[in-house]
Amino acid sequence: MDTELKRTLQVLIVENNDVDRAVLINMLSKAPYGSFQISATDSLQETFELLKQSLVDVVLLDLNIKDSNGIDTLKRLHGRYPQLAVVVNTGEYQDDLGLRAVTMGAQDYLIKGMYKSYGLVKALYYAIERKKAETELHKAMDELKEMQAQLIRAEKMNVVGGVASGIAHEVKNPLATILYGVEYLNTVLKDGDDKIELTLRSIKDAAYKANSIIKDLLDFASLSDIKRDLCPIERTIEQGLVLTHHQCEKFQIKIVKHFATNLPNVLIDKNRIEQVVVDLILNAIAVMKNGGTLTIRTTRKIFDRSDISVASNLTDSIAVGEDVLIVDFEDTGKGIPDEYLEKIFDPFFTTHRAAGGVGLGLSIARTIMDSHGGMIDLANKEDKQGARARLVFKVNGK
Amino acid sequence: MTEPKRILIVDDEVGFTEMVKLNLEDTGRFLVRIENDSTRAFETALGYRPELILLDIIMPEMEGPDVLCQLRENEQTAQIPIIFLTATVRKSEVNQEDGFISGYPFLAKPCTVEELIQAIDQNI
Ligand SMILES: Nc1ncnc2c1ncn2[C@@H]1O[C@H](COP(=O)(O)OP(=O)(O)O)[C@@H](O)[C@H]1O
Ligand SMILES: [Mg+2]
Repeated sequence: MDTELKRTLQVLIVENNDVDRAVLINMLSKAPYGSFQISATDSLQETFELLKQSLVDVVLLDLNIKDSNGIDTLKRLHGRYPQLAVVVNTGEYQDDLGLRAVTMGAQDYLIKGMYKSYGLVKALYYAIERKKAETELHKAMDELKEMQAQLIRAEKMNVVGGVASGIAHEVKNPLATILYGVEYLNTVLKDGDDKIELTLRSIKDAAYKANSIIKDLLDFASLSDIKRDLCPIERTIEQGLVLTHHQCEKFQIKIVKHFATNLPNVLIDKNRIEQVVVDLILNAIAVMKNGGTLTIRTTRKIFDRSDISVASNLTDSIAVGEDVLIVDFEDTGKGIPDEYLEKIFDPFFTTHRAAGGVGLGLSIARTIMDSHGGMIDLANKEDKQGARARLVFKVNGK
Repeated sequence: MTEPKRILIVDDEVGFTEMVKLNLEDTGRFLVRIENDSTRAFETALGYRPELILLDIIMPEMEGPDVLCQLRENEQTAQIPIIFLTATVRKSEVNQEDGFISGYPFLAKPCTVEELIQAIDQNI
């Protein structure tokens, strides 16, 4: 409070009764302590204008003014400026009004004629302090929530990781037995009929499918051992495209590349990032089964908040102002429903279960990007015609 | 016709070893002896004198690398080529150079019979 006292407070008086306003200004000028710079208005409309133009520490708000009445006045002000300290100053005495005002965003309330200079000034200072404490509390709460989300994610990963390596060994052995059994029958029943052939092929496909699920799980479990070198990112993207080429052709997906020139190399584990690239391409293909366009774009820029959507922004590994390299994968699929945006990175969340989706792609991709000190983001494109997956790498990654 | 090559497979997964035997012997090029108990692998190798050993890594009682040490300590078995066969290995777990575990070739289960035969031919 000491430093606050030395500073001139910017007070905005919102009051449409000339007399009341004069009284308030007079009281503040005679205040026992503090110094105030006062501005005044009689409407909510002009209040918003003034708040846009200049910094205000605290608003002294009459609820019944030219263009607004009752508790609604506070609601509208608080809705637009939730960070603002507000002291309600009302003429009509109602029992519960004070309480309601305080629950609706005001820090204090005064009843006209019931206070003197000292009470007024005290209310203003206290309101500012309360607002500060409240803001900090909110910030701490947000951080806590975020930490909790991260913990839950980490916990899920741990459980999956531990179980995965155990399962892998136990499952791969019988799978290998099944596959060798099928191979043997294939050679013995070389001229078998179609039904036998179909049966054997189905068994084999099923075994390979199970094997690839196990492989996903293992990848998930082994994300700690990454090995990074300085690499050109385009090469890894091209590599991912080669691996998915067949799929892209099958579903008639056109690939458009916008690669920026003279990009610096980035510090990555090629194999891991290639895996991320493949996952993102496969996700795009999964929503463009009737054809479409996948645009891959690379950009170097200075990172700012708007580069990442809110839903994905759980880990703050890259600070605003850092030199980054961004890789975008834009598809022309159906986009991501809003209610899924928060879940798509969860292990085992998939909307493609029927088509064989396991739901590990994005959680693995995120873990890989985390371990690179980078970020991954998924959002709907601005034109709403599909989704955009984005990878952000630090140019001078450590 | 050349003599079939003698192969020893040491793996606790009974069904798997049977299938390896069936597939390899079916080609007419190999003779396969199965050992499902890794603690007896050394003795079996000493008696059978295989030209190559397929060795599982994770087995109860005694693991693949320990069997390998036993084999290397005896001059009669020290020179027998080894291929590790394992269900847990991922590429990233294997020492830098692709396809080798501490200097020995390995195959990740499940691999195709073709890959298995190719690896045997390369190492025998
Ligand atoms: N490009 C995209 N467009 C629309 N939805 C997507 C896209 N990428 C991912 N998703 C959503 O995120 C879910 C999870 O993706 P992922 O973790 O890769 O698992 P999977 O691909 O096995 O479903 C998908 O099932 C899908 O609902
Ligand atoms: Mg996927």
